[in-house]
Amino acid sequence: MQASKHIPTLLDHLIWVILVGVFIFFVFQSPVFLTSTNITNIFTAAAVLGILVVGQTFVLISGNFDLSSESTLGVCALFGMYLIVPATPPYWGGGILINPYLSIAVIIITGSLFGYINGLLITVGKMNNFIVTLAMLLILRGLMMAFTQGKPISGLNFPPAEVYFWLGHESLFEIPDLIKIPVGVMATGLIFIIGHIVLNHRRFGRELYAIGGNKQAAIASGIDADKRVRQAYIISGGLAALAGWMLAGRVGSIQVNLGDGYIFTVMAAAVIGGISLQGGRGTMLGALGGVLLLSTIDRGLNLMSVSVFWVKVIQGLIIMFAMFIDAQRVRYRKPQAKVAAVTASPANPA
Amino acid sequence: MDDKHSIPVVEMVDIVKVFPGVRALDSVSFSVQQGEIHALLGKNGAGKSTLMHVLTGLYTPDSGTIRIRGEIHENLNTAKAKQVGIALVAQHAKFVPGLSIAENVYSGMLPLNWGGFIDWKKMYRDAQEKLGQFDIDIDVSRLMEDTTVAERQMIEIARALFADASVIILDEPTAPLPKHDVAKLFEFVRRQRARGASFIYISHYLEEIFEVADHVTVMRNGVVAGVSPVKDITQPELIRLISGANVERYKRESGKIGNPVLSIKGLNRPGAYTDVQLTLNAGEVVGLTGLEGSGPGELARGLFGLEPLGSGSVMLNDSPYIDGSPISSLKQGLAYLPRDRHGLGIVAIRSVRDNVSLSVLDRLQQSLNLIDGAKEKELVSDFIDILGIKTPSMETAVENLSGGNQQKVVVAKLAATEPKVLILDEPTQGVDVQAKVELLRIVDKLSQRGVAVAVVSDELSELMDICDRIVVFYRGKIIREFRKNHEPITTALLLAAIEGETLENTNASV
Repeated sequence: MQASKHIPTLLDHLIWVILVGVFIFFVFQSPVFLTSTNITNIFTAAAVLGILVVGQTFVLISGNFDLSSESTLGVCALFGMYLIVPATPPYWGGGILINPYLSIAVIIITGSLFGYINGLLITVGKMNNFIVTLAMLLILRGLMMAFTQGKPISGLNFPPAEVYFWLGHESLFEIPDLIKIPVGVMATGLIFIIGHIVLNHRRFGRELYAIGGNKQAAIASGIDADKRVRQAYIISGGLAALAGWMLAGRVGSIQVNLGDGYIFTVMAAAVIGGISLQGGRGTMLGALGGVLLLSTIDRGLNLMSVSVFWVKVIQGLIIMFAMFIDAQRVRYRKPQAKVAAVTASPANPA
Repeated sequence: MDDKHSIPVVEMVDIVKVFPGVRALDSVSFSVQQGEIHALLGKNGAGKSTLMHVLTGLYTPDSGTIRIRGEIHENLNTAKAKQVGIALVAQHAKFVPGLSIAENVYSGMLPLNWGGFIDWKKMYRDAQEKLGQFDIDIDVSRLMEDTTVAERQMIEIARALFADASVIILDEPTAPLPKHDVAKLFEFVRRQRARGASFIYISHYLEEIFEVADHVTVMRNGVVAGVSPVKDITQPELIRLISGANVERYKRESGKIGNPVLSIKGLNRPGAYTDVQLTLNAGEVVGLTGLEGSGPGELARGLFGLEPLGSGSVMLNDSPYIDGSPISSLKQGLAYLPRDRHGLGIVAIRSVRDNVSLSVLDRLQQSLNLIDGAKEKELVSDFIDILGIKTPSMETAVENLSGGNQQKVVVAKLAATEPKVLILDEPTQGVDVQAKVELLRIVDKLSQRGVAVAVVSDELSELMDICDRIVVFYRGKIIREFRKNHEPITTALLLAAIEGETLENTNASV
């Protein structure tokens, strides 16, 4: 009896238990797992995913989905590079050669704009958020392919593009052979901290929780729910562009499929981290746990030389496991909720 | 069947159910005879829902015996309970709204024709006939979503009866129903009783018990506080059993009435209300009542911007009132407590703290627009103290509180906005007797602070207890206004007005 009381709490923090368990498992499986290079690799891989997950968390907590963020990432990474590099091979850019700083600003604004369009269609157009962002996912990816005719845009060996690569490529606090912290990792860490503060200690975040928990009650409490949802989408779009910028620095050359299929990992990380797909529940800290867990597993399987085909299977199983955990959360909360609903008051006739 | 008449249909003996930290049922015995309507009363948390969950097999009791028609059932689960004829009709029956009544009645056993396709003709004909057997005269090809709540409940009861249910649990069936549908439902339930069905009737409305029930069992703190035939007990006795103490009704003394705060002149909204003239003064409590749909609820929702307000003049503190959204209403100092607590009042999954501070987050901001956590906690704990909200902590999710405490959370949220006008729409609906009194005391306190309060309700005795004025709507128009200390106000006079009797008519007939 006493144990069952702690199950919901355990389920909420299960992510950290699993993360430690998985980490120890891989330490025993691979001799190089516990090296600073490898740990840095895990964090580097987690950095791009993490930024997308922060944006997604805002949208999910408001009770919506943003499936389009992987395409926003791709388009923005590509567009930023296009503005910087020459039109000639091997770069295949736009030949506009604008200042890279300006280019970065342009893509962040572009990403936010895509988010705003999603938000407008959903709140003003009263369209279904899942379908709207799914359509946006296809449209942006299609535009990206049509625009480049499938050719990658590269900034490799083009010195002015160095600035564009800084976020994804450079490291700080470097002590040779011992430690170096990639800029991207620090940026993502900072974004998680800001995300946490905004979600818990700013009016915006608190109102998002209320909207996701019960939109009608939030509106009746004087909250402009539509505006808040649009803002959540703007953040998601802007952060997707930022993630695109970071990823561009890591790959150097932007293929048209950059970010393709990433959204599954983003959703899995969020759900594993305890963000409810029904909205209103979840924390930034949990989401961070989800991101670290997936990155650790990915890296560990890589080191164990597990075949790519099996990696897909395992990823699928992890997503299923996450949904299983989510279902248990609902199950263990329900008995209380049910009793409350029965003993409590009448709701209104529908 | 006749020889079984003396054996109770349901007999629960010495049922014990313990939850972590709570003895929810402490040796409870409860029995229901065939062909009776047995009321089960008690405050929220008294144990009646737990007892019903045990009977429907959702909870396994820690000890005790359950006999159904004399036969002992151990390990009762939900499927088995259904099999032996126990059915629960929830307040909001579960139907597929987009399908026809017939399809809903037949769901899971649609009649097929020779080709394996659904035999629509047969389905409609049979469904019509079957419902007809239970005196439900309704066009079964209509969509479920177009039926009234009362019709839905009758269909749900009939559906349970088709499935050979013999004991039907009605959980607060009348709470979402307008008054005239309540009578219809009661008539229906009585007819099914005459055919031998038994009902367990859970309700907060005591008047209903006297109208419809044969027997009553009262629970308090997990034990049976009393069992009696309804004809041998009075309402005060029932209240005493339910609350465990002699609860006085809350009588509010009229306070100092100040200047007009909200004045409405010639307000019209087609289909809702016509030519409304109404003034709410500071420190005054005004009751708005009438039949369902006759105007007061519509006016309240219109003023708060949940529905269109219509045309006419509305002044709040001498400036024109800007309507259209709850945001602008709250900004101007008009707050509204919704009738639909779960739909519009609380964010159930969030904490008491989140709910109480929700409408005043802008006021709690400090530097960098961060919420001042200390100030927020102080505000919330103040309201928990002042309103007597019973909660383990301010971080407890509101869904885990009782109905009365949930309602207090909503009141706290509204009071935190420091409104000038507070409109309460059925504030005591679905809360237990004790919490009702506490809520009315809170309303009184707010009015003493100079808030102009309007209470939309059809609980006439409550309105008479707390209001300075009672305004009666009939078909969208204000038909009469009763002023306390100016004229006698009785239930009979109020009811007459609610049914459309004007002052002129009354005088003419005298």
